[in-house]
Amino acid sequence: MKASNAWHLRDIILLTLIAIFFGVIYWVIGPLYNVLTLALTPVGLGPAANDILMGVWVMAGPLAGYLFKRVGSAFLGEFLGSIVEMFLGGQWGASTMISGVVQGVASELGFTLTGYKRFDWFSLNLSVLTTTIVTFGWDMARNGYASYHLGLLVALFIIRLISTWFFGGLLSKMIVNLLDRTHLMQTQTR
Amino acid sequence: MNPSLKFLLAILIALEISFTNVWMVNVLLAVIGLIIILASRPSIKRLALLFVVPLIPAVALAVAILLQSNAGTHFALVLFTRIYAYVFVGSAATLTTQVSDLVMSLEQNAHIPSKFAYGFLGAFNLLPKIISEVNIIRAAGNMRGQQLHFWSPQLYFKAILASLSWSENLAEAMTSHGFVEDAPRSYYTQIQIRWWDWGILIVSLALLQVALFGLHLQ
Repeated sequence: MKASNAWHLRDIILLTLIAIFFGVIYWVIGPLYNVLTLALTPVGLGPAANDILMGVWVMAGPLAGYLFKRVGSAFLGEFLGSIVEMFLGGQWGASTMISGVVQGVASELGFTLTGYKRFDWFSLNLSVLTTTIVTFGWDMARNGYASYHLGLLVALFIIRLISTWFFGGLLSKMIVNLLDRTHLMQTQTR
Repeated sequence: MNPSLKFLLAILIALEISFTNVWMVNVLLAVIGLIIILASRPSIKRLALLFVVPLIPAVALAVAILLQSNAGTHFALVLFTRIYAYVFVGSAATLTTQVSDLVMSLEQNAHIPSKFAYGFLGAFNLLPKIISEVNIIRAAGNMRGQQLHFWSPQLYFKAILASLSWSENLAEAMTSHGFVEDAPRSYYTQIQIRWWDWGILIVSLALLQVALFGLHLQ
């Protein structure tokens, strides 16, 4: 498919709808995050819940990039998702947008590094890697990860990488494989 | 306050307190946020959730700092109050703004392309339909003895298929109602940025700097 970089009304609506669907699905599993955090807090590992589920929160980015194959799609997918989430759950309010921007830039970076020439399994994995590194750096500042002992820090990073790879990488790949078999995307996004 | 500037202010505040370690400022911001939230007369249930839900990550972060690092109680307190400042300042912006107002303001004041504004708004209004579609997809799976979890590709696949057909329909509907991409538009509701909008933004940020540096130096 030749990549066209213009965004049309239909693509914008499609991307927003997908973002909303993801928002709804996150929302359904929200209680899982709280339960997991509560369970891990007594041993001081509460933040690990965030890293275990990180892949779910950020998967809209790599998936959108891999699906739309356009400049800005990964960023927009993640950013629109965060706006939807903000108005849907409202739990974090406007600060959700910051996470949305950080995660969006993070997953877009993977596709940028290939110069937007490749939108394949390689660039998807690259996007997973940049997402993990950038969001982890952000948590080091914002959530005080930087002061943890080195062992824990490494463990959290590996957990986050696995989670992001599973949801943002493997699951995105499986979803797009299913979609490719329907041949619907080719005509739609041209 | 103008919606675009209100969100800009909330984001700038959240961004700044992400990198500063003054817990009193965090508490102050949370209190101001809470006053704005209370002025919008939220339901008791929503208010209770606003207090309880952030408690979970806030306690988790504070306990983790105490047990897993040498940063000490002061930093734990900073992280704990930071979460509440985020949530209350952020919610003060979202609870007092309608989605349509924000989108219209972003289009008229921040000059994002109208196709993004209306495309987003159109899709956002399908929200109730989307929630029921997720339930339908899961119920349909259950009927065939196939339980769909959040890690099942089929769940997302079916959701994207539904999005494909809806986006097609909605885009055609908007086009047939006369929406033309990138065409100049006039506005029925004019949203303006008044001088006091800028005033509130600049004064608030200035006060934040004074508070941060004043308390930091002590």
